[in-house]
Amino acid sequence: MISAMPPRWAETLLRLVLDSRDRADVSGDLLEEFRDGILPARGPSAANRWYVRQVVGFVIRSNALPALLFGGAFVTRTGLDWLVPPADFHVRSLISTLVAGSILLVSGFLASGRSGSTLAGTFAGATTAALAAAVSTIGALGLLAVWHDPATLQAIEGSGGLGEVLLLPVLLIVPGLLLGTIGGIAGAVVHRVARRIA
Amino acid sequence: MGARTPRLTFAHENYIVVFMADLLGNFEQAVLLSVLRLGDEAYGRAILNEVQARLDRDVAAGAVHATLKRLESKGLLKTALGPGTEVRAGRPRRYYKLSLSGQRSLNDARAAANNLWRGFRWPLKGHA
Repeated sequence: MISAMPPRWAETLLRLVLDSRDRADVSGDLLEEFRDGILPARGPSAANRWYVRQVVGFVIRSNALPALLFGGAFVTRTGLDWLVPPADFHVRSLISTLVAGSILLVSGFLASGRSGSTLAGTFAGATTAALAAAVSTIGALGLLAVWHDPATLQAIEGSGGLGEVLLLPVLLIVPGLLLGTIGGIAGAVVHRVARRIA
Repeated sequence: MGARTPRLTFAHENYIVVFMADLLGNFEQAVLLSVLRLGDEAYGRAILNEVQARLDRDVAAGAVHATLKRLESKGLLKTALGPGTEVRAGRPRRYYKLSLSGQRSLNDARAAANNLWRGFRWPLKGHA
């Protein structure tokens, strides 16, 4: 039991979302509970599942705020397009692209700034986009459940259709990876400089 | 150690009204009381298990960790690293200790609950 290890990929994800200060002690706490508490009581499969659940909790917690902001912005834009359709979508598209890009950049920057790893930014960007996709989908379906009169359905078609509203957030995971990485590079540099100064 | 905002109280018909925003939530109280109960053995894993025992339910390690960090940043907890063990693959333990502000916050939370309940018999019977 003392040498048993949880899934390696889950340990890697955990290390990516933890502050550099907490990385060793928090991962040690989880490993100790895994080996000493959960594994003897529940067996290897259940212990692995427990460990992954804990890591998913850390991942969601560390990206919840930017994901809610991103998802909220997307739902707001969707609502405006459906209920107050403009003649030209250009300005709205520009604003929502800037907002989404900024959130992903900052999310990557903060994650790497905390952990010191550029990869943490990449992961934060992708996770933020993925969680935001879930928020956006639920939000858009909620809007549709409330407003589905003929005028709104026509506005939905005019703004790109329901397919675009549901698919676009998922496609944004790729830019999330990229922008998270760019923010992550900056965050990791700031982290190193701050450590050197300290 | 961060200083806490002074508690603002005013008398009103024998009740002391405390600004609720300054009070600890139930989960924060459970974490602080677990730290207090564990004494010199208050480190992450032990606190997680103690909180689960106190609340009588499964609690996510991330929730306890986030709360410990928040309480530490508020100055209610102090921390120090201790040596690792073999079962932890040598990774250190972070030990937590209640600060004076933490003790004061727990006292305030208890006093506020007592004030809210003043004049009632517990468990409530015959009010519904």
